[in-house]
Amino acid sequence: MATTSRERAAIKFLFWTIASLAMIAYVFHSYRSGQMIRWYYYTADMDGYAVNADSFKDATGENPAVLAITDSDRIDGLMAVRVKKGERLPEHCNGIISKKALEEGKRVALEGDTIKVMVPWEIKESKGFKYKDSFKHKGIKTNPWSGAWNVAVVIALGICLGFMAEGFTDMLGWRIHKLHHFEGH
Amino acid sequence: MFEFAIAGIQAPIFLLMLTGFTVGIVGGFIGVGGGYMVTPALIVFGFPGYLASGIDATHMAGKAVVSSIRHRQLGNIDWTLALSMVAGTMLGVELGVRLLNYTKKLGISGVVLLACSVVVMLGLFIYTQLETRRAHKRLEQASLEGSHVGRELKTSTLHTFFQAIPLVPIVRCRTARVVVSMWVIVLVGVATGFLAGFLGVGGGFIRVPSLVYIVGATTHISVGTDLVEIVVSGGYGGLRQSMSGNVDMMAVLFMILGAMIGAQFGSIATAYVRGPAIRYILSYSLILATTGAFLRLLYVLTGQKIALLSFFAVVFTLGEMIFLCLFIVSLVIFSVLHTRGKKVPQWVAPLVVAATE
Repeated sequence: MATTSRERAAIKFLFWTIASLAMIAYVFHSYRSGQMIRWYYYTADMDGYAVNADSFKDATGENPAVLAITDSDRIDGLMAVRVKKGERLPEHCNGIISKKALEEGKRVALEGDTIKVMVPWEIKESKGFKYKDSFKHKGIKTNPWSGAWNVAVVIALGICLGFMAEGFTDMLGWRIHKLHHFEGH
Repeated sequence: MFEFAIAGIQAPIFLLMLTGFTVGIVGGFIGVGGGYMVTPALIVFGFPGYLASGIDATHMAGKAVVSSIRHRQLGNIDWTLALSMVAGTMLGVELGVRLLNYTKKLGISGVVLLACSVVVMLGLFIYTQLETRRAHKRLEQASLEGSHVGRELKTSTLHTFFQAIPLVPIVRCRTARVVVSMWVIVLVGVATGFLAGFLGVGGGFIRVPSLVYIVGATTHISVGTDLVEIVVSGGYGGLRQSMSGNVDMMAVLFMILGAMIGAQFGSIATAYVRGPAIRYILSYSLILATTGAFLRLLYVLTGQKIALLSFFAVVFTLGEMIFLCLFIVSLVIFSVLHTRGKKVPQWVAPLVVAATE
Protein backbone atom coordinates (compact mmCIF):
# COMPACT_ATOMS: atom_id res chain seq x y z
CA MET A 1 0.00 0.00 0.00
CA ALA A 2 2.80 2.34 1.00
CA THR A 3 4.67 1.52 -2.21
CA THR A 4 1.60 2.37 -4.28
CA SER A 5 1.33 5.67 -2.46
CA ARG A 6 5.02 6.42 -3.11
CA GLU A 7 4.66 5.44 -6.76
CA ARG A 8 1.70 7.77 -7.14
CA ALA A 9 3.68 10.54 -5.48
CA ALA A 10 6.62 9.89 -7.84
CA ILE A 11 4.30 10.10 -10.86
CA LYS A 12 2.78 13.30 -9.45
CA PHE A 13 6.22 14.80 -8.90
CA LEU A 14 7.40 13.77 -12.38
CA PHE A 15 4.29 15.13 -14.08
CA TRP A 16 4.43 18.51 -12.37
CA THR A 17 8.21 18.77 -12.81
CA ILE A 18 7.81 18.28 -16.57
CA ALA A 19 4.95 20.80 -16.60
CA SER A 20 7.05 23.32 -14.62
CA LEU A 21 10.07 22.88 -16.89
CA ALA A 22 7.88 23.28 -19.96
CA MET A 23 6.42 26.50 -18.54
CA ILE A 24 9.86 27.89 -17.67
CA ALA A 25 11.22 26.95 -21.12
CA TYR A 26 8.21 28.61 -22.76
CA VAL A 27 8.65 31.86 -20.80
CA PHE A 28 12.39 31.84 -21.48
CA HIS A 29 11.88 31.22 -25.19
CA SER A 30 9.19 33.95 -25.47
CA TYR A 31 11.59 36.39 -23.82
CA ARG A 32 14.72 35.45 -25.75
CA SER A 33 12.95 35.27 -29.12
CA GLY A 34 11.75 38.84 -28.64
CA GLN A 35 8.04 37.93 -28.58
CA MET A 36 7.52 39.38 -25.10
CA ILE A 37 9.53 42.47 -25.98
CA ARG A 38 7.40 43.05 -29.11
CA TRP A 39 4.28 42.80 -26.93
CA TYR A 40 5.83 45.15 -24.44
CA TYR A 41 6.88 47.87 -26.90
CA TYR A 42 3.66 47.57 -28.87
CA THR A 43 2.18 50.96 -29.84
CA ALA A 44 2.98 54.63 -29.32
CA ASP A 45 1.16 56.36 -26.48
CA MET A 46 2.16 59.84 -27.67
CA ASP A 47 3.26 61.70 -30.76
CA GLY A 48 7.04 61.87 -31.08
CA TYR A 49 10.10 59.98 -32.28
CA ALA A 50 10.58 56.26 -31.66
CA VAL A 51 14.16 55.48 -30.61
CA ASN A 52 16.34 52.79 -29.10
CA ALA A 53 17.38 54.51 -25.87
CA ASP A 54 20.25 52.06 -25.31
CA SER A 55 22.02 53.32 -28.44
CA PHE A 56 22.69 56.77 -26.94
CA LYS A 57 22.93 56.03 -23.22
CA ASP A 58 26.55 57.31 -23.06
CA ALA A 59 25.84 60.66 -24.75
CA THR A 60 26.80 63.84 -22.88
CA GLY A 61 26.42 67.59 -23.34
CA GLU A 62 30.02 67.74 -24.61
CA ASN A 63 29.68 64.63 -26.75
CA PRO A 64 26.02 64.45 -27.84
CA ALA A 65 24.53 61.58 -29.83
CA VAL A 66 23.02 62.49 -33.21
CA LEU A 67 20.01 60.42 -34.31
CA ALA A 68 19.07 60.34 -38.01
CA ILE A 69 15.31 60.73 -38.59
CA THR A 70 14.06 58.01 -41.00
CA ASP A 71 10.82 56.24 -41.98
CA SER A 72 12.17 52.74 -41.38
CA ASP A 73 10.12 50.05 -39.63
CA ARG A 74 13.22 48.92 -37.79
CA ILE A 75 15.63 50.91 -35.62
CA ASP A 76 19.33 50.08 -35.95
CA GLY A 77 21.54 52.18 -33.71
CA LEU A 78 21.36 55.97 -33.87
CA MET A 79 18.00 56.31 -35.63
CA ALA A 80 14.68 57.98 -34.83
CA VAL A 81 11.34 57.21 -36.48
CA ARG A 82 8.44 59.66 -36.38
CA VAL A 83 5.35 58.04 -34.80
CA LYS A 84 1.84 59.15 -33.93
CA LYS A 85 -0.21 58.05 -30.93
CA GLY A 86 -1.70 54.60 -31.50
CA GLU A 87 0.72 53.57 -34.28
CA ARG A 88 2.65 50.29 -34.07
CA LEU A 89 6.22 50.87 -32.92
CA PRO A 90 9.15 49.95 -35.19
CA GLU A 91 11.26 46.93 -34.30
CA HIS A 92 14.00 47.47 -31.65
CA CYS A 93 12.25 50.63 -30.44
CA ASN A 94 12.22 50.92 -26.64
CA GLY A 95 11.12 54.48 -26.02
CA ILE A 96 9.75 57.67 -27.49
CA ILE A 97 11.23 61.13 -27.38
CA SER A 98 8.19 63.36 -26.97
CA LYS A 99 7.55 66.56 -28.91
CA LYS A 100 7.43 68.36 -25.56
CA ALA A 101 10.98 67.27 -24.69
CA LEU A 102 12.16 68.46 -28.10
CA GLU A 103 10.43 71.82 -27.68
CA GLU A 104 12.01 72.28 -24.23
CA GLY A 105 15.42 71.57 -25.77
CA LYS A 106 17.09 70.82 -22.42
CA ARG A 107 17.81 67.14 -22.95
CA VAL A 108 17.21 66.75 -26.69
CA ALA A 109 17.00 69.12 -29.64
CA LEU A 110 15.67 68.90 -33.20
CA GLU A 111 18.29 69.97 -35.74
CA GLY A 112 17.13 69.58 -39.36
CA ASP A 113 16.78 65.87 -40.12
CA THR A 114 18.51 64.84 -36.90
CA ILE A 115 17.86 64.80 -33.18
CA LYS A 116 20.70 65.77 -30.88
CA VAL A 117 20.69 63.99 -27.48
CA MET A 118 22.61 65.82 -24.77
CA VAL A 119 21.15 64.34 -21.53
CA PRO A 120 20.13 60.69 -22.09
CA TRP A 121 19.18 60.07 -18.46
CA GLU A 122 18.50 61.85 -15.18
CA ILE A 123 18.55 60.74 -11.55
CA LYS A 124 15.02 60.59 -10.13
CA GLU A 125 13.49 59.31 -6.90
CA SER A 126 10.72 56.86 -6.11
CA LYS A 127 9.58 56.11 -2.55
CA GLY A 128 12.79 57.68 -1.28
CA PHE A 129 15.05 55.62 -3.59
CA LYS A 130 17.13 57.05 -6.41
CA TYR A 131 17.12 55.54 -9.91
CA LYS A 132 18.21 56.37 -13.47
CA ASP A 133 15.34 57.75 -15.53
CA SER A 134 16.03 57.63 -19.29
CA PHE A 135 13.93 57.83 -22.47
CA LYS A 136 13.47 54.08 -22.24
CA HIS A 137 9.83 53.01 -21.65
CA LYS A 138 8.64 56.58 -22.22
CA GLY A 139 5.50 57.01 -24.33
CA ILE A 140 5.09 53.34 -25.16
CA LYS A 141 1.95 51.25 -24.76
CA THR A 142 1.96 47.55 -23.99
CA ASN A 143 -0.26 45.08 -25.83
CA PRO A 144 -3.25 44.89 -23.44
CA TRP A 145 -3.49 41.11 -23.93
CA SER A 146 0.05 40.65 -22.67
CA GLY A 147 -1.19 41.64 -19.20
CA ALA A 148 -3.68 38.77 -19.14
CA TRP A 149 -1.01 36.47 -20.61
CA ASN A 150 1.51 37.46 -17.87
CA VAL A 151 -0.94 36.80 -15.05
CA ALA A 152 -2.13 33.51 -16.59
CA VAL A 153 1.48 32.33 -16.97
CA VAL A 154 2.40 33.35 -13.41
CA ILE A 155 -0.60 31.56 -11.90
CA ALA A 156 -0.05 28.45 -14.08
CA LEU A 157 3.61 28.41 -13.08
CA GLY A 158 2.64 28.77 -9.42
CA ILE A 159 0.27 25.79 -9.73
CA CYS A 160 2.93 23.65 -11.45
CA LEU A 161 5.64 24.54 -8.91
CA GLY A 162 3.28 24.16 -5.95
CA PHE A 163 2.15 20.67 -6.93
CA MET A 164 5.70 19.71 -7.90
CA ALA A 165 6.83 20.60 -4.36
CA GLU A 166 3.88 18.71 -2.89
CA GLY A 167 4.73 15.66 -5.04
CA PHE A 168 8.36 15.90 -3.92
CA THR A 169 7.56 15.75 -0.19
CA ASP A 170 4.98 13.00 -0.79
CA MET A 171 7.58 11.02 -2.73
CA LEU A 172 10.03 11.30 0.17
CA GLY A 173 7.31 9.88 2.39
CA TRP A 174 7.03 13.13 4.31
CA ARG A 175 3.28 13.23 4.59
CA ILE A 176 2.01 16.60 5.69
CA HIS A 177 -1.17 16.23 7.68
CA LYS A 178 -3.95 18.68 8.33
CA LEU A 179 -3.39 20.61 11.56
CA HIS A 180 -5.71 20.15 14.51
CA HIS A 181 -6.61 23.79 14.92
CA PHE A 182 -9.14 23.40 17.68
CA GLU A 183 -7.72 20.61 19.82
CA GLY A 184 -7.28 21.75 23.43
CA HIS A 185 -9.85 24.54 23.13
CA MET B 1 24.33 38.61 -14.31
CA PHE B 2 21.30 38.49 -16.57
CA GLU B 3 20.43 41.09 -19.16
CA PHE B 4 16.81 42.12 -18.60
CA ALA B 5 15.80 43.38 -22.00
CA ILE B 6 12.55 45.01 -20.86
CA ALA B 7 13.91 46.57 -17.66
CA GLY B 8 17.04 47.57 -19.56
CA ILE B 9 19.40 46.62 -16.76
CA GLN B 10 21.74 43.82 -15.76
CA ALA B 11 21.03 42.20 -12.41
CA PRO B 12 22.31 39.03 -10.74
CA ILE B 13 19.84 36.12 -10.96
CA PHE B 14 21.11 34.88 -7.60
CA LEU B 15 19.99 38.05 -5.79
CA LEU B 16 16.53 37.92 -7.37
CA MET B 17 16.10 34.28 -6.41
CA LEU B 18 17.41 35.00 -2.91
CA THR B 19 14.91 37.85 -2.52
CA GLY B 20 12.13 35.53 -3.73
CA PHE B 21 13.33 32.84 -1.33
CA THR B 22 13.44 35.06 1.78
CA VAL B 23 10.12 36.74 1.03
CA GLY B 24 8.71 33.28 0.26
CA ILE B 25 9.64 32.12 3.77
CA VAL B 26 8.20 35.20 5.46
CA GLY B 27 5.11 35.29 3.20
CA GLY B 28 4.35 31.60 3.63
CA PHE B 29 4.68 31.93 7.40
CA ILE B 30 2.76 35.12 8.16
CA GLY B 31 0.57 35.27 5.04
CA VAL B 32 1.85 38.45 3.48
CA GLY B 33 2.86 39.25 -0.08
CA GLY B 34 5.92 41.13 1.13
CA GLY B 35 5.48 44.11 -1.17
CA TYR B 36 6.88 46.49 1.41
CA MET B 37 10.11 44.46 1.38
CA VAL B 38 10.43 43.43 -2.30
CA THR B 39 9.86 46.78 -4.04
CA PRO B 40 12.72 48.58 -2.21
CA ALA B 41 14.98 45.53 -2.71
CA LEU B 42 14.37 45.58 -6.48
CA ILE B 43 15.08 49.31 -6.61
CA VAL B 44 18.36 48.67 -4.81
CA PHE B 45 19.21 46.04 -7.48
CA GLY B 46 18.76 48.75 -10.12
CA PHE B 47 15.18 48.26 -11.34
CA PRO B 48 13.30 51.53 -11.92
CA GLY B 49 10.62 52.27 -9.32
CA TYR B 50 7.61 51.61 -11.56
CA LEU B 51 9.03 48.26 -12.75
CA ALA B 52 9.88 47.25 -9.16
CA SER B 53 6.22 47.69 -8.11
CA GLY B 54 4.96 45.80 -11.18
CA ILE B 55 7.38 42.89 -10.82
CA ASP B 56 6.54 42.68 -7.13
CA ALA B 57 2.75 42.60 -7.67
CA THR B 58 2.99 39.98 -10.43
CA HIS B 59 5.40 37.64 -8.65
CA MET B 60 3.21 37.92 -5.55
CA ALA B 61 0.34 36.13 -7.33
CA GLY B 62 2.54 33.17 -8.32
CA LYS B 63 4.16 32.95 -4.91
CA ALA B 64 0.76 33.06 -3.17
CA VAL B 65 -0.43 30.16 -5.38
CA VAL B 66 2.58 28.06 -4.31
CA SER B 67 2.01 28.88 -0.61
CA SER B 68 -1.75 28.32 -0.88
CA ILE B 69 -1.24 24.81 -2.25
CA ARG B 70 0.83 23.90 0.81
CA HIS B 71 -1.53 25.65 3.25
CA ARG B 72 -4.43 23.73 1.66
CA GLN B 73 -2.60 20.51 2.53
CA LEU B 74 -2.20 21.77 6.12
CA GLY B 75 -5.92 22.59 6.31
CA ASN B 76 -5.23 26.30 6.82
CA ILE B 77 -7.63 27.62 4.19
CA ASP B 78 -11.28 28.43 4.79
CA TRP B 79 -12.65 28.63 1.25
CA THR B 80 -16.01 30.12 2.33
CA LEU B 81 -14.25 32.94 4.13
CA ALA B 82 -11.80 33.49 1.27
CA LEU B 83 -14.43 33.56 -1.47
CA SER B 84 -16.80 35.75 0.58
CA MET B 85 -14.07 38.32 0.97
CA VAL B 86 -12.88 38.41 -2.67
CA ALA B 87 -15.47 40.88 -4.01
CA GLY B 88 -14.95 43.26 -1.08
CA THR B 89 -11.18 43.07 -1.50
CA MET B 90 -11.40 43.89 -5.24
CA LEU B 91 -13.73 46.82 -4.60
CA GLY B 92 -11.46 48.10 -1.82
CA VAL B 93 -8.31 47.80 -3.96
CA GLU B 94 -9.97 49.75 -6.79
CA LEU B 95 -11.10 52.51 -4.39
CA GLY B 96 -7.63 52.65 -2.83
CA VAL B 97 -5.91 52.92 -6.24
CA ARG B 98 -8.30 55.73 -7.23
CA LEU B 99 -7.56 57.66 -4.04
CA LEU B 100 -3.84 57.13 -4.65
CA ASN B 101 -4.17 58.52 -8.19
CA TYR B 102 -6.11 61.50 -6.80
CA THR B 103 -3.35 62.28 -4.27
CA LYS B 104 -0.82 61.93 -7.14
CA LYS B 105 -2.76 64.59 -9.07
CA LEU B 106 -2.59 66.85 -6.02
CA GLY B 107 1.15 66.18 -5.85
CA ILE B 108 1.07 64.95 -2.26
CA SER B 109 1.12 61.17 -2.84
CA GLY B 110 4.69 60.64 -1.56
CA VAL B 111 4.19 62.23 1.86
CA VAL B 112 0.58 61.03 2.32
CA LEU B 113 1.51 57.47 1.37
CA LEU B 114 4.47 57.25 3.73
CA ALA B 115 2.58 58.97 6.58
CA CYS B 116 -0.40 56.59 6.18
CA SER B 117 1.93 53.57 6.04
CA VAL B 118 3.58 54.66 9.29
CA VAL B 119 0.28 55.32 11.12
CA VAL B 120 -1.48 52.11 9.96
CA MET B 121 1.49 49.82 10.53
CA LEU B 122 2.37 51.37 13.89
CA GLY B 123 -1.24 51.03 15.09
CA LEU B 124 -1.38 47.38 14.00
CA PHE B 125 2.01 46.69 15.58
CA ILE B 126 0.97 48.11 18.97
CA TYR B 127 -2.34 46.19 19.06
CA THR B 128 -0.87 42.90 17.83
CA GLN B 129 2.17 43.13 20.08
CA LEU B 130 0.17 43.89 23.25
CA GLU B 131 -2.41 41.19 22.55
CA THR B 132 0.23 38.59 21.68
CA ARG B 133 2.25 39.36 24.80
CA ARG B 134 -0.86 38.71 26.91
CA ALA B 135 -1.48 35.46 25.04
CA HIS B 136 2.17 34.49 25.49
CA LYS B 137 1.92 35.04 29.26
CA ARG B 138 -1.19 32.89 29.44
CA LEU B 139 0.56 30.16 27.47
CA GLU B 140 3.52 30.30 29.87
CA GLN B 141 1.13 30.05 32.82
CA ALA B 142 -0.68 27.09 31.28
CA SER B 143 2.66 25.46 30.56
CA LEU B 144 3.73 25.84 34.22
CA GLU B 145 0.39 24.42 35.39
CA GLY B 146 0.87 21.50 33.01
CA SER B 147 -2.48 22.03 31.29
CA HIS B 148 -2.85 21.21 27.61
CA VAL B 149 -3.22 24.15 25.22
CA GLY B 150 -4.09 23.86 21.54
CA ARG B 151 -2.52 25.64 18.59
CA GLU B 152 -4.36 28.87 19.13
CA LEU B 153 -4.70 31.23 22.04
CA LYS B 154 -5.75 34.83 21.77
CA THR B 155 -6.83 37.26 24.46
CA SER B 156 -8.68 39.73 22.24
CA THR B 157 -12.48 39.54 22.42
CA LEU B 158 -13.09 42.08 19.67
CA HIS B 159 -14.37 39.36 17.31
CA THR B 160 -17.25 38.51 19.66
CA PHE B 161 -18.69 41.98 19.01
CA PHE B 162 -18.51 41.54 15.22
CA GLN B 163 -19.78 37.97 15.32
CA ALA B 164 -22.84 39.19 17.26
CA ILE B 165 -23.93 41.56 14.46
CA PRO B 166 -27.23 40.03 13.28
CA LEU B 167 -27.24 41.29 9.66
CA VAL B 168 -28.30 38.61 7.15
CA PRO B 169 -26.95 36.68 5.32
CA ILE B 170 -25.07 34.91 8.07
CA VAL B 171 -22.14 32.84 6.82
CA ARG B 172 -20.95 29.61 8.43
CA CYS B 173 -17.22 29.13 7.82
CA ARG B 174 -16.70 25.46 8.64
CA THR B 175 -12.91 25.25 8.64
CA ALA B 176 -12.49 28.44 10.69
CA ARG B 177 -15.51 27.49 12.86
CA VAL B 178 -16.80 31.01 12.57
CA VAL B 179 -20.41 32.12 12.17
CA VAL B 180 -20.54 35.76 11.14
CA SER B 181 -22.54 38.17 9.01
CA MET B 182 -21.46 38.23 5.37
CA TRP B 183 -21.37 42.04 5.66
CA VAL B 184 -18.62 41.89 8.27
CA ILE B 185 -16.47 39.76 5.94
CA VAL B 186 -17.20 42.00 2.95
CA LEU B 187 -16.42 45.13 4.97
CA VAL B 188 -13.15 43.63 6.19
CA GLY B 189 -12.35 42.91 2.51
CA VAL B 190 -13.24 46.46 1.43
CA ALA B 191 -11.32 48.13 4.28
CA THR B 192 -8.19 46.00 3.95
CA GLY B 193 -8.35 46.11 0.13
CA PHE B 194 -8.68 49.89 0.26
CA LEU B 195 -5.58 50.26 2.43
CA ALA B 196 -3.72 47.74 0.25
CA GLY B 197 -4.64 49.58 -2.95
CA PHE B 198 -3.81 52.96 -1.49
CA LEU B 199 -0.51 51.91 0.06
CA GLY B 200 0.41 49.86 -3.03
CA VAL B 201 0.90 46.56 -1.19
CA GLY B 202 -0.75 43.11 -1.19
CA GLY B 203 -2.48 43.90 2.09
CA GLY B 204 -1.65 40.71 3.99
CA PHE B 205 -0.22 42.56 6.97
CA ILE B 206 -3.59 44.32 7.40
CA ARG B 207 -5.83 41.39 6.45
CA VAL B 208 -4.28 38.72 8.70
CA PRO B 209 -4.79 40.74 11.93
CA SER B 210 -8.29 41.69 10.69
CA LEU B 211 -9.21 38.05 10.14
CA VAL B 212 -7.86 37.14 13.58
CA TYR B 213 -9.27 40.01 15.61
CA ILE B 214 -12.43 41.04 13.73
CA VAL B 215 -13.68 37.87 12.03
CA GLY B 216 -12.35 35.59 14.78
CA ALA B 217 -10.47 32.99 12.72
CA THR B 218 -7.40 31.27 14.16
CA THR B 219 -4.02 32.71 13.15
CA HIS B 220 -3.09 29.66 11.01
CA ILE B 221 -6.38 29.77 9.11
CA SER B 222 -6.09 33.55 8.70
CA VAL B 223 -2.65 33.11 7.13
CA GLY B 224 -3.80 30.40 4.67
CA THR B 225 -7.02 32.21 3.79
CA ASP B 226 -5.21 35.48 3.29
CA LEU B 227 -2.81 33.86 0.83
CA VAL B 228 -5.81 32.92 -1.35
CA GLU B 229 -6.83 36.59 -1.23
CA ILE B 230 -3.30 37.56 -2.29
CA VAL B 231 -3.63 35.29 -5.36
CA VAL B 232 -6.65 37.39 -6.35
CA SER B 233 -5.34 40.83 -5.34
CA GLY B 234 -1.81 40.06 -6.65
CA GLY B 235 -3.27 38.73 -9.91
CA TYR B 236 -5.42 41.84 -10.32
CA GLY B 237 -2.47 44.09 -9.41
CA GLY B 238 -0.24 42.17 -11.83
CA LEU B 239 -2.81 42.56 -14.61
CA ARG B 240 -3.07 46.31 -14.09
CA GLN B 241 0.69 46.72 -13.81
CA SER B 242 1.34 44.54 -16.89
CA MET B 243 -1.16 46.53 -18.93
CA SER B 244 0.66 49.70 -17.87
CA GLY B 245 3.97 48.19 -19.04
CA ASN B 246 5.47 47.85 -15.57
CA VAL B 247 6.46 44.17 -15.63
CA ASP B 248 9.59 42.33 -16.78
CA MET B 249 8.51 38.69 -16.84
CA MET B 250 12.03 37.23 -16.57
CA ALA B 251 12.56 39.01 -13.25
CA VAL B 252 9.16 37.66 -12.13
CA LEU B 253 10.18 34.15 -13.21
CA PHE B 254 13.45 34.17 -11.24
CA MET B 255 11.71 35.53 -8.16
CA ILE B 256 8.98 32.87 -8.30
CA LEU B 257 11.61 30.12 -8.60
CA GLY B 258 13.27 31.38 -5.41
CA ALA B 259 9.92 31.92 -3.71
CA MET B 260 8.83 28.37 -4.55
CA ILE B 261 11.46 26.95 -2.19
CA GLY B 262 11.04 29.64 0.45
CA ALA B 263 7.24 29.37 0.43
CA GLN B 264 7.46 25.62 1.13
CA PHE B 265 9.59 26.24 4.18
CA GLY B 266 7.50 29.17 5.42
CA SER B 267 4.19 27.35 4.98
CA ILE B 268 5.35 24.09 6.56
CA ALA B 269 6.98 26.06 9.41
CA THR B 270 3.50 27.16 10.56
CA ALA B 271 2.91 23.54 11.61
CA TYR B 272 5.68 23.87 14.21
CA VAL B 273 4.32 26.89 16.06
CA ARG B 274 1.28 28.16 17.93
CA GLY B 275 -0.79 31.12 16.73
CA PRO B 276 0.93 33.73 18.96
CA ALA B 277 4.33 32.90 17.41
CA ILE B 278 2.98 33.83 13.96
CA ARG B 279 1.45 37.00 15.38
CA TYR B 280 4.79 37.91 17.00
CA ILE B 281 6.62 37.59 13.67
CA LEU B 282 3.85 39.59 11.98
CA SER B 283 4.14 42.37 14.55
CA TYR B 284 7.95 42.47 14.26
CA SER B 285 7.68 42.66 10.48
CA LEU B 286 5.27 45.58 10.97
CA ILE B 287 7.55 47.56 13.28
CA LEU B 288 10.60 47.00 11.05
CA ALA B 289 8.65 48.08 7.96
CA THR B 290 7.30 51.07 9.92
CA THR B 291 10.83 52.11 10.87
CA GLY B 292 11.92 51.87 7.21
CA ALA B 293 8.89 53.89 6.06
CA PHE B 294 9.40 56.44 8.87
CA LEU B 295 13.03 56.99 7.85
CA ARG B 296 11.95 57.49 4.23
CA LEU B 297 9.23 59.91 5.42
CA LEU B 298 11.87 61.90 7.35
CA TYR B 299 14.08 61.84 4.26
CA VAL B 300 11.28 63.26 2.09
CA LEU B 301 10.22 65.84 4.72
CA THR B 302 13.81 67.09 5.13
CA GLY B 303 13.96 67.86 1.42
CA GLN B 304 15.91 64.67 0.56
CA LYS B 305 19.11 66.25 1.81
CA ILE B 306 20.13 63.81 4.55
CA ALA B 307 21.39 60.82 2.54
CA LEU B 308 22.01 58.85 5.72
CA LEU B 309 18.24 58.59 6.32
CA SER B 310 17.73 57.04 2.89
CA PHE B 311 20.66 54.67 3.48
CA PHE B 312 19.27 53.45 6.83
CA ALA B 313 15.80 53.07 5.28
CA VAL B 314 17.33 50.62 2.78
CA VAL B 315 19.30 48.86 5.50
CA PHE B 316 16.15 48.42 7.63
CA THR B 317 14.08 47.18 4.72
CA LEU B 318 16.61 44.62 3.52
CA GLY B 319 17.72 43.70 7.05
CA GLU B 320 14.09 43.01 7.91
CA MET B 321 13.88 40.12 5.46
CA ILE B 322 17.01 38.48 6.87
CA PHE B 323 15.96 39.04 10.49
CA LEU B 324 12.49 37.57 9.98
CA CYS B 325 13.83 34.53 8.10
CA LEU B 326 16.32 33.80 10.88
CA PHE B 327 13.57 34.20 13.47
CA ILE B 328 11.31 31.72 11.65
CA VAL B 329 14.14 29.20 11.12
CA SER B 330 15.07 29.49 14.83
CA LEU B 331 11.49 28.80 15.89
CA VAL B 332 11.36 25.63 13.77
CA ILE B 333 14.71 24.43 15.17
CA PHE B 334 13.54 25.15 18.73
CA SER B 335 10.28 23.32 18.03
CA VAL B 336 12.14 20.21 16.86
CA LEU B 337 14.48 20.36 19.87
CA HIS B 338 11.56 20.89 22.26
CA THR B 339 9.64 17.95 20.78
CA ARG B 340 12.72 15.76 21.30
CA GLY B 341 12.85 16.81 24.95
CA LYS B 342 15.93 19.03 24.54
CA LYS B 343 16.36 22.29 26.43
CA VAL B 344 15.10 25.44 24.68
CA PRO B 345 14.89 29.05 25.95
CA GLN B 346 12.05 29.49 28.43
CA TRP B 347 10.16 32.05 26.32
CA VAL B 348 10.17 29.77 23.27
CA ALA B 349 8.61 26.66 24.79
CA PRO B 350 5.00 27.96 24.95
CA LEU B 351 5.20 29.26 21.38
CA VAL B 352 6.19 26.01 19.67
CA VAL B 353 4.36 22.76 19.20
CA ALA B 354 5.00 19.32 17.68
CA ALA B 355 4.30 19.43 13.93
CA THR B 356 2.05 16.36 14.15
CA GLU B 357 -0.31 17.93 16.73
